Amino acid sequence: MNPLVSSRDAVFDPVRLLNAEQESRTFLRLRIRMALTTLHTMLHTARLRLTLVVILSCFFWGALYGLFSEAFTFLDSLRTDIVSLLLNTFFSSLMVMLMFSSGIILYSSLYCSREARLLVTLPARAEMIVSHMFQEAIWFSSWGFMLLGSPMLVAYGVVTGSPWTYYAMLPPFMLSFVFIPSMLGNIACLMLVAWLPKIRLHAVSTIFVLACAGGLWLGWSTMSATTSDRLSSAWFEEMFGRLSITEQRILPSWWLSTGLLEVARPAQTQSELFASLGEAAKFLALLVANGLFLQLIAGWTASHLYRLGYSQLACEQPLRGRRRPMGWFDQFISMSGTATGRPIRLLLVKDLRLFRRDVTQWSQFAIFFGLLALYFANVRSFSYNATYSSMIGFLNVAVIGLILSTFTTRFIYPMISLEGRRFWILGLLPVNRDQIVWSKFIFSSVGSLVPCTLLVLLSDLTLGIPPMFIAIHETCCVILCFGLSGIAVGLGARMPDLRESSPSKIAAGFGGTLSLVISALFIMLVVIIAAVPSHLFTATQASQSPLVVRGVLGWAGSGTGIVCSMVVVVAIGLVATLWPMILGLKAFRTLEP
Amino acid sequence: MIEFDHVTREYGTKIAVSDLSLSIPRGELFALLGPNGAGKTTTIKMLVGLLRPSRGNVRVCGFDSVKDPRLSHLHTGYVPDEPCLYDKLTGREFLWFIADMFGLARHSAEERIAREMHSFELEEFADDLAESYSLGMKQRLVFASALLHDPDVLVLDEPMVGLDPRSTRLVKDLLERRVHEGMTVFMSTHTLAMAEEMADRVGIMDRGKLRFLGTLDQLRDQMSLQTMNLEQLYLQLTSSSESRSR
Repeated sequence: MNPLVSSRDAVFDPVRLLNAEQESRTFLRLRIRMALTTLHTMLHTARLRLTLVVILSCFFWGALYGLFSEAFTFLDSLRTDIVSLLLNTFFSSLMVMLMFSSGIILYSSLYCSREARLLVTLPARAEMIVSHMFQEAIWFSSWGFMLLGSPMLVAYGVVTGSPWTYYAMLPPFMLSFVFIPSMLGNIACLMLVAWLPKIRLHAVSTIFVLACAGGLWLGWSTMSATTSDRLSSAWFEEMFGRLSITEQRILPSWWLSTGLLEVARPAQTQSELFASLGEAAKFLALLVANGLFLQLIAGWTASHLYRLGYSQLACEQPLRGRRRPMGWFDQFISMSGTATGRPIRLLLVKDLRLFRRDVTQWSQFAIFFGLLALYFANVRSFSYNATYSSMIGFLNVAVIGLILSTFTTRFIYPMISLEGRRFWILGLLPVNRDQIVWSKFIFSSVGSLVPCTLLVLLSDLTLGIPPMFIAIHETCCVILCFGLSGIAVGLGARMPDLRESSPSKIAAGFGGTLSLVISALFIMLVVIIAAVPSHLFTATQASQSPLVVRGVLGWAGSGTGIVCSMVVVVAIGLVATLWPMILGLKAFRTLEP
Repeated sequence: MIEFDHVTREYGTKIAVSDLSLSIPRGELFALLGPNGAGKTTTIKMLVGLLRPSRGNVRVCGFDSVKDPRLSHLHTGYVPDEPCLYDKLTGREFLWFIADMFGLARHSAEERIAREMHSFELEEFADDLAESYSLGMKQRLVFASALLHDPDVLVLDEPMVGLDPRSTRLVKDLLERRVHEGMTVFMSTHTLAMAEEMADRVGIMDRGKLRFLGTLDQLRDQMSLQTMNLEQLYLQLTSSSESRSR
C-alpha cells in the first residue's frame, strides 16, 4: 500500500477542490513521507555523519548544562534577584533572532525554491502552501534555540530545586514561544515581498543593520558604563538595570520567563504547587493564544499576498552591465607572475569571482569572523594573569581553527566535485589537472591566512601576550590554515561526488564528514602539542621558580621544549597538508568524469 | 478554453508581453513560437498562475487565473521547461501526492496512476527516489503528473527537452490522442518541426508581441511564400520584424 494513500474515499467528481482540512492532511502526509525517507537515507548512507551529529549534540548539550549549572549556582550565591532579568534579556534577544531567521528562511523557500514553483501551479490554497513551508522554517530557525535554551532551563530547574511540573511545562512553553517570533517573521516576509518587492533586500538589510547596531550599542553602553567591580553582585545589578527594557510586559519573552519562573518556584505543599502551576498556565495560555492569533493573521495575509508577492518578485529586471569594482585586482593577479603559473592564477581569479558573487559564502565568512573579532576585541574586559592569557590565546587559535574547518569543509571540500561537473569546460582547456587542484589549495590557504592571522594578532594584543607567544600562536595559525586547506582540497579531490550539484549536499556526505573529523583532530593535535609546553613555561615563569615542575614536564616547559614542540607541530602540519594533497592529486589525475 | 484578453506583462521598465489577445478553443493544439526573449515563457507563466498580468485577464475554462487561481489550476496540467519534483519522494509517491491535491478518489487515483505509469513507461523505476532519475525520466514523470487528473488544458513549456526519440514519439502520440478526445494543448517550443507536424494553429511572438496567429497555410498566404516549410517561414518572419525594429 502506498504511504501517501489517503484513507478517505471520495465518490463524486473525478477532480475537486479539497477543503482546508483535507489539504492540510495531504501536506502533512507529504511532510511525514519526506522526513521518513530522509531519515532512512541518512541511516543507510550517512551513518557516520548522523552518529557524529548525535554525539556532538549530546556533548554540546552536556557542556552547556554544566556551564549553566555553574552560572546559576554562582548567581544563587550572590542572593540577587537577577535571574528574571537574565532570562528576559536572553529570550528577547532570541525573539529578534528567531524573527529574522524564520523570515529569511521562509523567503528562500516561498519565493526561490523549486518546490514553491510546483505548489503554486497546483490547486492548493496559498495559506496552506505558506503553512507547509512555515513548518520547515520554524524547525530550521528554532533548533538552535532548543539546543541552547533547554540545557539552560533544565540547569535552572535543578539548581533551584524546581518541582516536576516545571520540567513538564518546559516543552509547551518553549514551543509556544518560538511560534510567535517565527509567525511575525512569516507575516513580515509576506508583506515585504508583496508590497516592497524591489527594495526588499535593502529593507531587510537596513532593519538588520539597525537591529545589530542597536544591540551593539546596548551591549557596549551596558558593559562599558558600569562602575562596580566586574562579576560582583553590584555589577550585575547595575548591568541588568540597564537591560530593564527587556522586562516590558508586552513582550512574549516576558510572558515566557515569568511563566517559567512561576512554575519553577519550589513548592512546600500541594496547594502551593497547584497555585504556581495555575499562574504559569495563565502565561502559557497567553503565549498560545497570541501564537494562534498570529497564525490567523498569517493565514489571512498569505491568502491575500502570497501569490501576488510571488508574481511581484518576478517584476525585477535581471541585472545587466554589472559593475566590476574588483576588476583591477583580478587583472593584477592574472597578469603578475610567470607565464607558466598563469593557468593557476586564472583559475584563482575565477574562484575569487565566484566567491565574491556568492553572498552565502562571504556573508557567513564575514559574520563568523566578525563575531570572533568582536569577542577578541572585548576579551580583555575580564582580568587574567599571564598563564591564563596564554591559555586563552591558544583557545582562541583553536576556535579560529574550528570555525575555519567548517568553512573549508562546507565551501572548499565541494569545489573539486563541482569542478568535476564542469570538466567539459576545463577538460578542453590547456590546463594540467594538477594545476586545478593546486589552484584550489592556494585559494583556500591564502584566503584564510589573512583573516586568521589578523584575528590571532588582535586576540593576542588585546590579551597583552608577549611577542614570543604571539609568534607561536601565529605559527600555529599558519599551520592550521595550510593543513585545513590541504585536508579539504586533498580529500575533495580523492572522493569527488560528480553527480551532485549542491555544494551543501556534497559537504554533508561521507567525504565531507570525514574531512571535518580529520580537521578537528588536526586542530586539537596542533593546539595541544603547542599549548602544553607554553603553558608549563608561563606557569614556571609566573611562579618565579624553575623547579615548579620536574622531569619530562620540566623539560617540556623549558625553551628547548617549546622549540621541539614547534618542530613537531610544523611536521604534523606538513603531513596534514601534503598527504591528503598527494592522495588527491593522484586520484584526480585518473578521474573519469 | 484559454483566453488572453489584452494581456500585458512588464518587468520593471521592460515589456515582456504586450497587449496579447488570444483565444484557443477546446480540442486545439496551439504552438507558440518565437526567438529567445520573445515572451513565450512569460505568457505560459501567466497562463499557469506563476505570474500575474500587469494589465488584462487570462482565463482557463472561464476561470480567471488571478481571481480564481485554484479553479483555474484544477483544470490545468503544466509541464515546465525544468522538471520540479521532490527528490525525497519516489515517482509513485509523487503521483499520489498530485492525485491527492486534485482530490481524486482513491480507486480513481490508483487507476490513473497505473495508466500514466504505463503510458510513460515509468513502472520500472516507479519506486526509486526521484533524486536518482535522469532528466528524461524526470520529464516523463512530470508529464504523467500533469495528465493524471485528465486536465481540460495542458500547458507545455519546451516539452521535449531531455526526452529521447522513443519518449518524444510516445509523447507526440499521446498528445494527438488527448487532443482528439477534446483536451486543449498550449505548447511553447523551439522545435519547429514538431509544431509543423502537430499544431492546429501557431502563434509567433517576437519582442513581446504576437506577430502572427493562424494555421501554417495562412502563414504561407500572408508571406506569399507557398513552397516554404515552417522553419523557413519562421526565420523569414522573425528576421523581417527584427529589421523593421532596427
